[in-house]
Amino acid sequence: MPPKVDREKCDGCKAQQEPLCEQVCPGDLMTLDDEKKAYCRMPRDCWDCMSCTKACPVGAIETRIPYQLGYHPAKLIPMMGTNTITWTCIDINGKVERFRYINRGRLD
Amino acid sequence: MEKVVPKIGIFVRDPGGRMAASLDLPGMLKRLGKAKNVTRVCLLADLAGNASLSSVAEGIRNGEYDRVLWVGRFNTEQQKAVEGYLEGFGLNKYLHMWCDIEEQGALNQKVASEVREKKALRLIQMALARTRLLEPLAPLEIPAVDAAMVVGGGIAGLQTALSLVELGKKVHLVEKESGVGGKVAALHRFYPRLCDPLCGLQFVVDRLRASDRIHFHTLSQVVSIDGGPGRFQVRISRRPRFVDLQRCNACGECVEACPVEIPRTPEYGAFGSWAPLEGAPRKAIGPACPMSFPTAFVVQREHCAPGCKECEIACPAGAVNLEETATHEDVEVGAIFVTTGWDPYPLSRVEEFGYGLYPRVLSNLEMERLLGGDLPPLDEVGFIQCVGSRDERHLHYCSTVCCSATLKQIRFLKDRMPHVRCYVFYQDIRSPGFQEELYQEVKALEGVIFVRGTPSTVRPDGDSGRLMVRAEDTLSGKEIRLALDLLVLAGGMVPSRGTEELAQVLNLPRNRWGFFEAHLQCHPEESQRTGIYVGGCSREPMNVSQSIDSAHRAAMEGLAFLSGTVLVSPTYPLVDKTKCDKCKRCMEECPFAAFHFDREGFPEPDLAKCRQCGNCVGICPLAAVSLRHMTIKQIAAQVQEAAASFLPEGEPQVLAFLCQNDAYHAARAAVEQGLPVPPNVIFVKVPCAGYVNNALIADALAFGIDGVLIAGCQDGQCHYVTGNQLVRKRSDDLSDKLQKMMIERDRVRFVNLEIRDSVGYVELTRSFVEELMAMGPNPFKL
Repeated sequence: MPPKVDREKCDGCKAQQEPLCEQVCPGDLMTLDDEKKAYCRMPRDCWDCMSCTKACPVGAIETRIPYQLGYHPAKLIPMMGTNTITWTCIDINGKVERFRYINRGRLD
Repeated sequence: MEKVVPKIGIFVRDPGGRMAASLDLPGMLKRLGKAKNVTRVCLLADLAGNASLSSVAEGIRNGEYDRVLWVGRFNTEQQKAVEGYLEGFGLNKYLHMWCDIEEQGALNQKVASEVREKKALRLIQMALARTRLLEPLAPLEIPAVDAAMVVGGGIAGLQTALSLVELGKKVHLVEKESGVGGKVAALHRFYPRLCDPLCGLQFVVDRLRASDRIHFHTLSQVVSIDGGPGRFQVRISRRPRFVDLQRCNACGECVEACPVEIPRTPEYGAFGSWAPLEGAPRKAIGPACPMSFPTAFVVQREHCAPGCKECEIACPAGAVNLEETATHEDVEVGAIFVTTGWDPYPLSRVEEFGYGLYPRVLSNLEMERLLGGDLPPLDEVGFIQCVGSRDERHLHYCSTVCCSATLKQIRFLKDRMPHVRCYVFYQDIRSPGFQEELYQEVKALEGVIFVRGTPSTVRPDGDSGRLMVRAEDTLSGKEIRLALDLLVLAGGMVPSRGTEELAQVLNLPRNRWGFFEAHLQCHPEESQRTGIYVGGCSREPMNVSQSIDSAHRAAMEGLAFLSGTVLVSPTYPLVDKTKCDKCKRCMEECPFAAFHFDREGFPEPDLAKCRQCGNCVGICPLAAVSLRHMTIKQIAAQVQEAAASFLPEGEPQVLAFLCQNDAYHAARAAVEQGLPVPPNVIFVKVPCAGYVNNALIADALAFGIDGVLIAGCQDGQCHYVTGNQLVRKRSDDLSDKLQKMMIERDRVRFVNLEIRDSVGYVELTRSFVEELMAMGPNPFKL
C-alpha cells in the first residue's frame, strides 16, 4: 500500500525541485504535483520501505501498511530522533506496541 | 578525523558552602571521579589570588586533562578571568564548560534530599556529556572594505555620508535625481528652529564636498548586489546627464537657448514640480534638482524637440553632449545604508477634497513653496489635517509631522499676512514633545480657529472661484460653512517610489505599509539583512531632526563592517556535507537570508551575515547543521543524560528548552526569588527557541522523558524575527504525529515567556507537571 500524503501539512519542501521524499525514495516514486504537494505516482510499485515517511520533515506522510500485515486501522509509525528511532505499532484491535532503537552513527 | 579521547578535569567551587549544605559533596565528587573520561576531580578553595588557578594550570601543563568542567556559580567576570588566565597555559577558551547547578534549583532545601542529590548529579553528568564533545575554536576575521554606500541623497543620506566621511571611510552616495537634497530642499522652513533648510543642507554638502573620500553618483540606481557584509559588490547604473560634470560651469547660456518649456506638473515629486507655483517655467536644460548640487546642469531629454541641438551649440564650455548613453559602475563596499526617504501620499486619491481638480486646493508641500515665494492675496485659508493618514481607506498610520508642519505654516503665513483667518480642520493635533510650544503659540494667535472635524464637502464657487467648505464642528455639534481662498491638505507620507524596486535588489523585508523593517528597540537602524542599514523616513515617518538622528545612528551601527576586518565569533553554523541533501530548507527559513549555495550546491552560511541564532539547526530535517560550540550532537548527548530518572517513581520528568534571551532569565529568576519551581524540570539553554530541532524532542521522548517544554519570546519580540514561530509550527507538527502514535499530544508544548515572567514560569511548569502526572508515564519509558 502506498504512502499517503497529508496535503495540508505537506509544503513540498518549500517547493524545491526535489522534495526530501523524492530524493530518498529507492523506487523514484514520490514527486510533486502541480500544486507542489508530494504524491506517489505509481502506488503499485511501492515497497512500503517507509523511507519517505521517516524523511518527511513536517510529518505529512503516513504509510498504509499492506493488508497481509494488518487491515485498517493498523498503523506503523516511525519517529526519528538525532540518534534514535522509535516505532509505534498499532494493530487492528488498537493494541499498541512501541520499540526504540539507538541508531548510532546518525550524528557521526 | 582522528578520534580524540577527551581528558576532563572537574573543578567544583563552593564559596560559602551552599553546595556542601544541601548535597553530599564528598560522595558526589567520588562518583564523578569514576565517570568516563574524567581524570581529575577537585574542590577548589577560592579563585582569588590565583593560588588555586595555578594548580588547575599545572594539570593542563602536564597533560592530566585537556578540558575543564567548572561546577558552581561563576559570574561572567570570573569566567572571563579564568578563561584568560588558562589561555596562557594553552587551554582554548572553548574548552571550558560552566555548570551552575544552583540555577536549576538543585540546591533547593525544600526538595527531598534524595531528589536534590540525584538532580545535581544529573546536571553535572549532562554538562560532562557536552564537555566530552567540546572542540577548540578560534574567532574568525573576515576582511572588510572600508568603503560604504549610501542610497538616497536626502537629508538622512547626506548626514550618514557625512558621519562616515568624518570617521575616515570612503562613501559612494547614490542618488536617482540629478542633484542631492531630497524633500528637505523643497521646504520653506523646518522646525524646531524654523530655519531655512537650504542653509542646513548647504552646510552638510559643503563639508562633504571638501572631502576627497566622497563620491557622488547622481542620476544613478543600484541594480544588483553580490557578496556579503564587509565586501558587497554593487553595480550602479547611471542615466546620462548629457552635460559633462567637469566642464559645465552653470553659466546659463544653454537655458537661454533652449526652446522647450516644461509645464509644471500637478503632482509633486516629478522632476519639474520643484519650480515655484508662479514664475518662469523650467526649460529642458537647467540646474540639477532638487538642489543644484552637483552644480553641472542636466538635460531632460524626454522633453527635447526632435533633432534640436540648441544647447549643444550655445554652450561656451562645450560641456553638452546629447549623444551620451547610460553607463554602469561596479563598486565594492563594506556596508550599505538605505535612506531612500518618502513621497507624499497621492492626494488625488482622497477624492472628497478635490485635489488636482480645483486650483485653490494645495498639498502642504506646495504650500511650502508658496510661502517661500510671492503670496497671492488671501483672506481665509483652510488647513485639513490627516488627509490620507489615520484613515482606514488610505494609510493606517500617523505620518507624525503633518500637524507640526501645518502649525509652522500658519505661523509663517500670519507673520507675512497678519489679517488672514486660518481654519484648521483636525481629528487630533499631535505635536509631541517640545512642539507643544508651537501649538500653544499658534493657538493663541488671533484669527486661528481650530475646528475638530473633517469637512464633508468642498465645492468651488462658480463666480469668485473661492472654495465653499462645509464641515461639522464635532465639539460644539454646529455646522460650519466657509468660503476659503485656499485650502491646504496635510497629506501623509508613503515610502518613496523606487523603494519596492530597491527592496527587491537588496532582498530587504518591508513591513505591511511598505517601509523597511528593522528591529525597533534592539537594532533600530539595522535591517533584517546584516550589513544593510536603513535610516530616515525609509523606515518610518519622521521629521527632519529625527531623520538626522537616525542617519547618525545608522552610521554608528554600520561601522563594524567598515573597519578593515569583521570579527566573527566561532560559534557559527556548520553544514555537514556528508549528511546534507541540499533540501534548501535552511536557506528558505533563515530569518537573515544568510545562506547561499557553495560550488558543489550545498548551502553555506555567509559568516558575516549570520547572527548565530541557530534557526538553521532547528529547521534541518536531517540534523545536518550545527552551531559550533553548541552542536546538535552535544545537545543530543545532554538530552540523553537528562533522561535518566532522578525523581521518585511516578513523578513526571520534564525537559525544557529555554531561549537564552528571555525564558532562561525568567527560569533563573524564579529559582533566585525562591519561588516554588517544581524539581521535575531540567532545562537546557538554547540561543533561540528556533534552535530546537524536532529530532531533539523525539530523542527526549524516546529516552523516556515525560514532557518537553520549549519556551521562546512573545510573538513579534523574537530577536531573530521568526524563531519562535518556526519552532511552534514544528512542535505542532510533532504533536500531531504523537497523536497518531497514540501518545498525548500535549507532551510537547511550546510557550511564550517574557523575561520577567518568573511567576508565569513557575505556574507553567507546575501545571505542566500536573497534567503530565494525570497522563501517566511516557509510553516509551522502559
